[in-house]
Amino acid sequence: MKKFVFRRILSGLLTVLVVFTLNFALVKSAPGDPITSLMGKETDDPVLRQALMEKWGLDKSYPEQYLSYLKNAASGDLGTSIIYNRSVNEMIGERVLATVLLGLTAALLALLLGTALGIFCARHDGSWIDNLLSSISYATDAMPSFWLGLMLMIVFATNLKLLPSQGMFNVRAGYTGMRHMLDVLQHLILPCVTLVIITMPGYFRITKSSILQVTNEDFITTMRATGMSEKKIFNKYIFRNAILPTVTMFGISMAFLITGVSLIEIVFSWPGMGRLTLTAITQRDYPTLMGVYLVMSISVVIVMIITDIAYALLDPRIRYE
Amino acid sequence: MPFWTRVSATNKGAVMKKLWNKIWNTLRSDGQLCFGVVGILVLLFVVVAAPVLTSHDPYFYGPDSLAAPGVNGHLLGTNHMGQDVLSMLLYGVRTSLMVAVVSSLISGVLGVLIGGLGGYFGGKVDLVVSEIINIFLMIPTFFLIMLIISLFGSNIKNVMIVIGITTWSSNAKLMRAQALSLRERTFVKSAIALGETRVQVLFKYILPNGIFPVIANTTRGMAGAILTEASLSFLGLGDPNIISWGQMIYQGKEYITSSWWVSTFSGVAIIITVIIFYMLGDGLNHVINPKYSQGGKK
Amino acid sequence: MGAILTVKDLNVTYINKTRRVMAVRRASFSIDKGDSLGIVGESGSGKSTLAMALLRLHPKSTEITGEALFDGKDLFSISEAEMNELRWMKLAVVFQKAMNALSPVHRISTQIEDIYRVHCPNASGEEIQERAMELLKLVNLPPRVYRLYPHEMSGGMLQRVAIAISLLHHPQLLIFDEATTALDVVTQGQILREILEMEKTLETTRIMITHDMSVVATTCNKVAVMYAGELMEFGMVKDVLTRPRHPYTQGLQDSFPSLKGENPKLLSIPGFLPDLSKDIPGCVFAPRCAHATERCRREKPPMTKTSEAGQAACWLCVGDENGK
Repeated sequence: MKKFVFRRILSGLLTVLVVFTLNFALVKSAPGDPITSLMGKETDDPVLRQALMEKWGLDKSYPEQYLSYLKNAASGDLGTSIIYNRSVNEMIGERVLATVLLGLTAALLALLLGTALGIFCARHDGSWIDNLLSSISYATDAMPSFWLGLMLMIVFATNLKLLPSQGMFNVRAGYTGMRHMLDVLQHLILPCVTLVIITMPGYFRITKSSILQVTNEDFITTMRATGMSEKKIFNKYIFRNAILPTVTMFGISMAFLITGVSLIEIVFSWPGMGRLTLTAITQRDYPTLMGVYLVMSISVVIVMIITDIAYALLDPRIRYE
Repeated sequence: MPFWTRVSATNKGAVMKKLWNKIWNTLRSDGQLCFGVVGILVLLFVVVAAPVLTSHDPYFYGPDSLAAPGVNGHLLGTNHMGQDVLSMLLYGVRTSLMVAVVSSLISGVLGVLIGGLGGYFGGKVDLVVSEIINIFLMIPTFFLIMLIISLFGSNIKNVMIVIGITTWSSNAKLMRAQALSLRERTFVKSAIALGETRVQVLFKYILPNGIFPVIANTTRGMAGAILTEASLSFLGLGDPNIISWGQMIYQGKEYITSSWWVSTFSGVAIIITVIIFYMLGDGLNHVINPKYSQGGKK
Repeated sequence: MGAILTVKDLNVTYINKTRRVMAVRRASFSIDKGDSLGIVGESGSGKSTLAMALLRLHPKSTEITGEALFDGKDLFSISEAEMNELRWMKLAVVFQKAMNALSPVHRISTQIEDIYRVHCPNASGEEIQERAMELLKLVNLPPRVYRLYPHEMSGGMLQRVAIAISLLHHPQLLIFDEATTALDVVTQGQILREILEMEKTLETTRIMITHDMSVVATTCNKVAVMYAGELMEFGMVKDVLTRPRHPYTQGLQDSFPSLKGENPKLLSIPGFLPDLSKDIPGCVFAPRCAHATERCRREKPPMTKTSEAGQAACWLCVGDENGK
C-alpha cells in the first residue's frame, strides 16, 4: 500500500511539473504581452516599456524567468498580477471559496440524488421512472451546460422573477449574518441547479449499471444460497462492490471542480475562479494565469491521489498493482 | 487479418453484395445505430443543400434587428445584426461537422499511433507512453484549450487543431489496451515468425484490427468537439468570422432578457446534433461489442 | 437408510420476454441418506439448473413445477422464510468458479461470520472463528487463510474454502455444482480425495454435479445421466458404468479414452443439442441416437427399471418392444 501511494505522489509531482513547464512555454511563446496591455494602445514609449519590463522581470532570459518563478512558486509566492498590481495569492484566495461553495454543493447534491435514483432504478429496471430518467440523462449529456444555465435564467429570473440572475449576493443591500447567508443561498440556487441537472445523470447511470452488474455476480448467488436476507445482501455485499465506479466518478468531478464550474460561473457572473481565469487570459496577465493554472493542476493531482487511495481502501485488489 | 487482401479479384463482386447485405441487416437490428446513421445522413444533406434550403442569406445583415420568431418571414427570428436565425442554424451544420471531423481525425490519429506504439512495443517504450497518457489525462484540457486559443488566435483552424491535440489521450488508452492484447494473438506471432518486421506488423495487423473500439470512441469525441467549440465561442474565444452555433449563443446572451430566440434555438441545434453522434457511437458499440449493451442482464 | 431427497416430475422453465426455455423436464429420482449421487451431462443438459432449483435460487420469473421432498417437506411449496431456515442449515451448495463465489472486497473471515450469523445471530466472533478453524483444518488449509481476501488465494485454496464454508452448519445434503471443473487435474484429484476423506467423519449425503464421468466413477455410488433437461439413466455407479443400458450413456463411455492402453477409436456423439424452447415429441436423444426407431421419435420412452436400483428412459429397455 505504501508503495502504491508513493508511486502516485511521484507521478503527481511529475504531472504538476510538466503542466507548469507547458504553461510557461505556451504563455511565453505566444504573441502579445502584458506590457502592451498595460501601456495601452496609444503609447509606445520605449523608455517606459523598458522600465516596465525591468519592473516585472520580463527583461531576463526565459530560463531565468522560469527558474525564478519555479523558486517562488515552491515557497508559496505566486507573484503579482501585472494588470491589477495585486498579489496573485490574494486574488485567487478571494475567488477560490466562491468556486468551491458552488462546485462542492452541486457535486454533493448530484452524487446523492444520482446515486439514490440509480439504486431505485436498478431495483425497478424497466419501470417508467427508469425510462424517463434514462431519456433525460441522454438529453442532458448533449446539452451545453452554459445553454442550460441561460435557459433557466430566462425562465426563472427574467420571466418568473423568482430568483436572481447574477452574482453571489446582493451587493447593494449590504446584508450581514443570517440574512446574508440566505441571500447567498438564493443566488446559489440557479447555478447550482444547472450544474446538478448536467452532472446528476452521470451518477445515475453509473450507479444503476454497476448495481445491476454486481447483482448478477456469482457471489451474490452464494449469499442467497445461505439464506441471507436480501436487505443484508444489498446493504453490505452489493453496495460495497457496486460503489467503486461511483467513487471514481466523484473523485474525477472533484479533481476537475474548478474547470467544471467555470462556464456556469461566467453565465451567472458568480465571482469565482472561472471569471478570474478568463480575464487573465484575455489580458495576458502572466502571473495570474500561471498562478491559476498551477493551483488548478495541483488541486487536480491532489484530489486524484486522494481518490486513488480511497479506491484502494475500498477495493483490496487494487493495492497490489 | 484484413479480409480484403485475401479475396481474389473475381470474387470481389459477390463479396460486395454480401457486405452490403450485412451492413443493411446490422443497421436494421439496432435502433440507435439506425437513428445515428440516418441523423448523420440528414446532417450531411443539410451541409450540401444549405443554400437551397435557406430563404435568407445568413451573412446578410438585414433591416430587422432582433425580430421575434415568425415576424417578416423569419421563422425563427433574427439576431441583433438582422441575420436570419434559421438560415444561420442550417449553415452552422457545416461548421459543426467540420470541427467534429477534423479534430477527431487529429485526435484519433495521434491516439492510435501513440497508444499503439506503447501497447505493441511494450517495455520501456510503453512505460514512457503510459506516463505521458496519464499526465495528459490529468491536465485540465478545457483551460489548456482556452489558453492556447487566446494566445495564438481564435480562428477556426486553430480551434480544430487544438481540440485535436488535447483530446487524444482517451483514444490512446483504448488503442494501447487493444495493442497489448492483440500482440499475444497467434496470427501476429506467426507473422513475426515468418519474418515481418515489427513496424510492418504494427501497421498491417495491430492497427487495423485494434481500431474498432477507437472508432466508436471517436464519435463520442466528435460530439465532445462540437460542445467544446461551442463553449469556446461562448467565452468569446471563438472565430467571429464563421457561423457557429456557439457564437450564436454568445451573441444572443447580450440580448437574452428581451430576445430569447437567438440563444435558445442554437442550443437546441447543438443538442440534436450531439445526440445524433451519441446514438451513432452507442450503436457502433453495440455492433462491435454486443455484450456492452446487455450489461447486467442475464 | 431412508430416502433423504425425493424429486418427482421436476420441470424448470426459464421465461423471458421472448421465449420459454424448458431446461429441466420431468426429472424424477430419489437419494438415500449417506448416498453420493453424481449427476452427469454435457453443457446445457440441465444439471446445474436442477441444483439451483432445489435451493430455489432461480429468479422469480422462472417457472418450477413438481415436487422435491426433503426432510419431510416439499421444497417447492414451503414459504420463502421456511426455505431460508433450511438453506445452509440442512442443504448447502459448493459452487464452481470459486474465484467469484465470494465477495472480492471482503475478507474471508467477514463473509464467514456473516454467513454463520444468518442462522445463529448471536454467535460471538470467537465461536465462529473456532468453528472456521476446525473446518479449515478439515480441508487442509492453514489457519492464516481466515484473514485473507479471495484474490490472495489460488483456485484450489478458494475451492477448499468454499467447501469449508458449506459445512458450517453440518448440512445433511451437500451439493457440489461443478466444484472441481475450473481446477487443474492435479488439484482436482487432491480435492476429490479430501472430500472422500472428509465423508468418513461427517454424515453428509452428497450430490456431485459434473460433466466428467471419471469424477463420478471415483467418488459416487449412484449416478444420474442427464441430457437436454431429461433424465436418461439412473442407477448404481458400478452397474451403469460397466453395463450402460441407455445409448447416450454408452456414447459417453465410448468418448472417454481408456488409461489402460487399448486404443480403440474415440467415438464422439454426432449432432447437437435440441432447441430447448420447443416441445420435443418422442425421445430427446433420438436425433443423435444410432439405435433410434420410429417409435423413439414419436413417443417419449418411460423410465423403465433395468435392474434393482437402476432405470433408463429408453424404448430399447422396454422388453416387449422391437429393438433394432
